[in-house]
Amino acid sequence: MELEWAGVPSIAIVHEEMRGSAQAIARVSGCPDYEFLTVDYPWVPIAIWSKEECLELAEIMAPKVLTALTGQS
Amino acid sequence: MTTAAQHAYDSYEALVEDYFEKGWTDGLPIMPPTPEKVAAFLECAGLSGDEVLGTVPTREVTCTAEQAAANAVMAGCLPEYFPTVVAAVRAHLQPKGNCHSTTGTLSGAAQAVIINGPIRNELGVASGAGCFGPGFRANATIGRALRLVIRNVCRGIPGFLDRASYSTPARYSFCFGENEEASDWEPLHVQRGLAPEQSAVTVHSLMKMVEATDFTSRDAEGVCDTLVTNIRANGIAGDAWLGEEGNVVIVVGHEHHRFFVEEGWSKADIQQYLWPRLNAPATSATDRMARIGKPEGILIVAAGGAGMGASWLLLPHLALAITEPVS
Repeated sequence: MELEWAGVPSIAIVHEEMRGSAQAIARVSGCPDYEFLTVDYPWVPIAIWSKEECLELAEIMAPKVLTALTGQS
Repeated sequence: MTTAAQHAYDSYEALVEDYFEKGWTDGLPIMPPTPEKVAAFLECAGLSGDEVLGTVPTREVTCTAEQAAANAVMAGCLPEYFPTVVAAVRAHLQPKGNCHSTTGTLSGAAQAVIINGPIRNELGVASGAGCFGPGFRANATIGRALRLVIRNVCRGIPGFLDRASYSTPARYSFCFGENEEASDWEPLHVQRGLAPEQSAVTVHSLMKMVEATDFTSRDAEGVCDTLVTNIRANGIAGDAWLGEEGNVVIVVGHEHHRFFVEEGWSKADIQQYLWPRLNAPATSATDRMARIGKPEGILIVAAGGAGMGASWLLLPHLALAITEPVS
């Protein structure tokens, strides 16, 4: 949100289990409708990920980030 | 049987200050234990004031229901919490709950109060996110009530019969529920012979709490190996007086619990995996035997919230974990 306020198009990625805290921060920041992307299991909220896991997750999330930022799929 | 003397105060502030002065609190303010409130608590538990809940023979202490009720009021409990407090007091004052040693020890052992059965949800006992910490009245006050009984009835007063070198914040209050709804795991009290619909309290005196973090494992065996490593880093000596019945409590966190559920591991499966590995001979000063007499002595409890890849090890002091029904 701070990047957005600074004029930098951005999208936050949070774990599904952290959706509640992300929404709470959005609410107290005056942006209750702020949208963000979520990652769910099998990726755990906090982990030491292997390179392969990172790449696999990036391949899933990158198109979603692009769509969120540009509106293009 | 003596009845607590009644005192009159001009104000709540005057009462609290006098209680501080007399050493009747844990350092925090208390609720006034008025005769009416004490009576209401006793009624809620169906007990007469002179009912004996337990004794501490070494200290010449007998704990009555009235004394426990007064301390439960002081702790901030609601009347409906009192049957659970009674069960916790009864458990802790069982001979092998070993009140004298576990509350007098230099090590500053604490008492974990673990609640199972329907009473958890009826009282709002937290078993998920944040369940070890502040913010939940039932957890905070039930655990505090036991500690106030230890202080005010069992004479576990720092500098007197409490000789802890440091003590621990867990001695203010340490109470949580098992998250029985998280899976089909057999709840702790059922493993210990009670019916699922029976509410129960297990009191476990712990020498220390160790967080077993594991952000790397992606399966049940990997998590178990981390538990073994962390327990063996501390070791558990065992004790001839406790015999083969000794315990360690493992509070399995949400992120670790998932792996067990996904792979179909029961609590018994975990016990069978851990037991020979814990009891294997020491190989170094940081890989010590954890002497647990039977697999069933490893008490597995599901609790905690999502996020951290961590479980907690409640390593025992010289006592058994005692389970008492809430009646």
